[in-house]
Amino acid sequence: MIKNYLTLALKVLRRKPFYTFVSLFGISFTLMILMLITSMGDAMFGANPPMTDVNKMVFLPQAERILQFYDTTYVVDSVRMDDGRMRYDSTANVREGGMNNSTGNLAFHFLDQTLRGLDRVASYTFYSNDGFVDAYLDGRKLTMSTCYTDADYWEVFDFDFLYGQPFTADAVAGADKVVVITEVVAREYFGEVTADVIGREIALGRERFTVAGIVARPYKDDDSINGDVFMPYTTIDNRKLQSDNISGPFNAVFKAEDKAHTAGIIDEIHFIAETYDMSGDEDYEILKLTAATATEKMAAEIMQEDDLRQAKLLLFIPLITLLTLFVALPLINLINLSVSRVYERRSEIAVRKAFGADSRSILYQFLFENMVLTVIGGLIGLALALLLIRYINANDLLGIVRLAFSARVFVYFLLLIAVFGLLSGLLPALRMSRTNVADALR
Amino acid sequence: MIELTNVSKSYRTDTIETLALQRLNLSVPDGEFLSIMGPSGCGKSTLLNIMGLIDEPSEGSVVLAGQPVTSYNGSKVARFRNEQLGFIFQSFHLINDLSVVDNVELPLLYRKMGGKERRRLALDALERVGLSNRATHFPNQLSGGQKQRVAIARAIVGRPNIILADEPTGNLDSHMGGEIMDILTRLNTDLGTTIVMVTHDERMARMTHRLVRLSDGERVS
Repeated sequence: MIKNYLTLALKVLRRKPFYTFVSLFGISFTLMILMLITSMGDAMFGANPPMTDVNKMVFLPQAERILQFYDTTYVVDSVRMDDGRMRYDSTANVREGGMNNSTGNLAFHFLDQTLRGLDRVASYTFYSNDGFVDAYLDGRKLTMSTCYTDADYWEVFDFDFLYGQPFTADAVAGADKVVVITEVVAREYFGEVTADVIGREIALGRERFTVAGIVARPYKDDDSINGDVFMPYTTIDNRKLQSDNISGPFNAVFKAEDKAHTAGIIDEIHFIAETYDMSGDEDYEILKLTAATATEKMAAEIMQEDDLRQAKLLLFIPLITLLTLFVALPLINLINLSVSRVYERRSEIAVRKAFGADSRSILYQFLFENMVLTVIGGLIGLALALLLIRYINANDLLGIVRLAFSARVFVYFLLLIAVFGLLSGLLPALRMSRTNVADALR
Repeated sequence: MIELTNVSKSYRTDTIETLALQRLNLSVPDGEFLSIMGPSGCGKSTLLNIMGLIDEPSEGSVVLAGQPVTSYNGSKVARFRNEQLGFIFQSFHLINDLSVVDNVELPLLYRKMGGKERRRLALDALERVGLSNRATHFPNQLSGGQKQRVAIARAIVGRPNIILADEPTGNLDSHMGGEIMDILTRLNTDLGTTIVMVTHDERMARMTHRLVRLSDGERVS
């Protein structure tokens, strides 16, 4: 019986190429776009290597130093009411003025002194990755972004090492000239991504580094992991590291023992900043460190909004609304198409009933037609999504970020479309299956 | 055997009640080729639909092949229609999305039967109406007469005891109509199928065993 329905469905779909094409196009294209959006969203917000533990991480997106200065002081007589008698009691000073501030990252020395040994932190890393270095190769100049960091960096971030190893704490302590490079750099500089690259030298600026490891491109878009070459921070000039300025090129990421502890870590960092003795700073009096979870940091960056809660709302409410509409519109179209198609076949339903079909077989028939469409459309959508993601990855259309294909999300969307397909086909079919045969055949 | 006793049918709209059939009695013995005539709106089609169980009488009882079908529920009626009845319509009502042979197979889809067996019976039925060479064509590639022959093949493929034909020659010219009548007559004589045919055409009616005339929902002869 199932085979009958299946062959019948295929026959009908073959005989209505335009309808079939439009339906398949709708289903597969919707799926493909949804998959692409989800993949991009996943690269931004998801927990993917090398940030599998992103939900346990606390970032320092911004350090702000503030000076409030007062250029005018008003002296006001203040009146105190006492025992029903009024008298001048004292004078109060009211100050007016302005504010200077400076935002940026932090100096290594400051991080080293103040942010080590926080409670509930499983591992943490300090890194500086806002610089660039040039390498010259056959008259070509390769400009690479640098990341100077410690050995714990490889503990916090689970980079996928294609070949070789991360550099060790010993290498950092000894200021060894070793480097971890991305597969892109390996391909560009050495012309190959193989184990042979390990141990070879790469000239970065005026120095030569030995390649210790090659990492795969990240499945995650984040500025804490987007370096091209990673070196021990100790290879930076020691005088720069020991500068007792608060601001500098370094940043920190803390990985909590558990996701629930991130709020506590954020509070502790804020407390440390509030109570920090700023007497050593010539220009500013107040230190404000913004500590944030990954989502808050992302929202603040995209929305250019300092208030983290506000930024999250501003980003996600429109984003979710938009995504819902995006899913709803093609689905409504599919329903429309399917409904009108069922009504168009009123006389077919009547004929089938006249020749002995009961309501259930009519329902099954439409169910199968919808299922066949969904499955075929789903397979085409799957192929399209895979091709598109591969194309984007192969051509570096999103920078170094790689898009991952999530089978789980694909199945969710396929189910969603199947459910809507069923509803859109079944409800009218259910109504039609109850229509009076005599009326429909008149 | 078709046995209609005191069958009435009324249609009710918001304001008026129309009586399509009034206390009609009719009995058709097995193997008879009966024609029903009457002016438009006299209730011919209603009568045929009631016999075919695609419409229910407001009053009275219908007994088909000894079974009190008026009391049957939905799926039992469906099964009965599938096994005992075959329909032929004035406007053919073939399914354009399906090939000729698939159209003919349609009643067999609702029986427990293998695909090969179905195909064999469908081709037999097409053979009987002289259209086996059109099996893989689609309805819109056929002439009106050919379409009606396909519809007849569809009606007889399940070997029903009763065929109900609602103006089967109404949309055809007299030559094609004659061919259709020949086929129906042969079915009646060769297989002993009971046929009830509604028609407007005296000549067609004269080719049947018996003629029943209706007027305003009542039997006049």
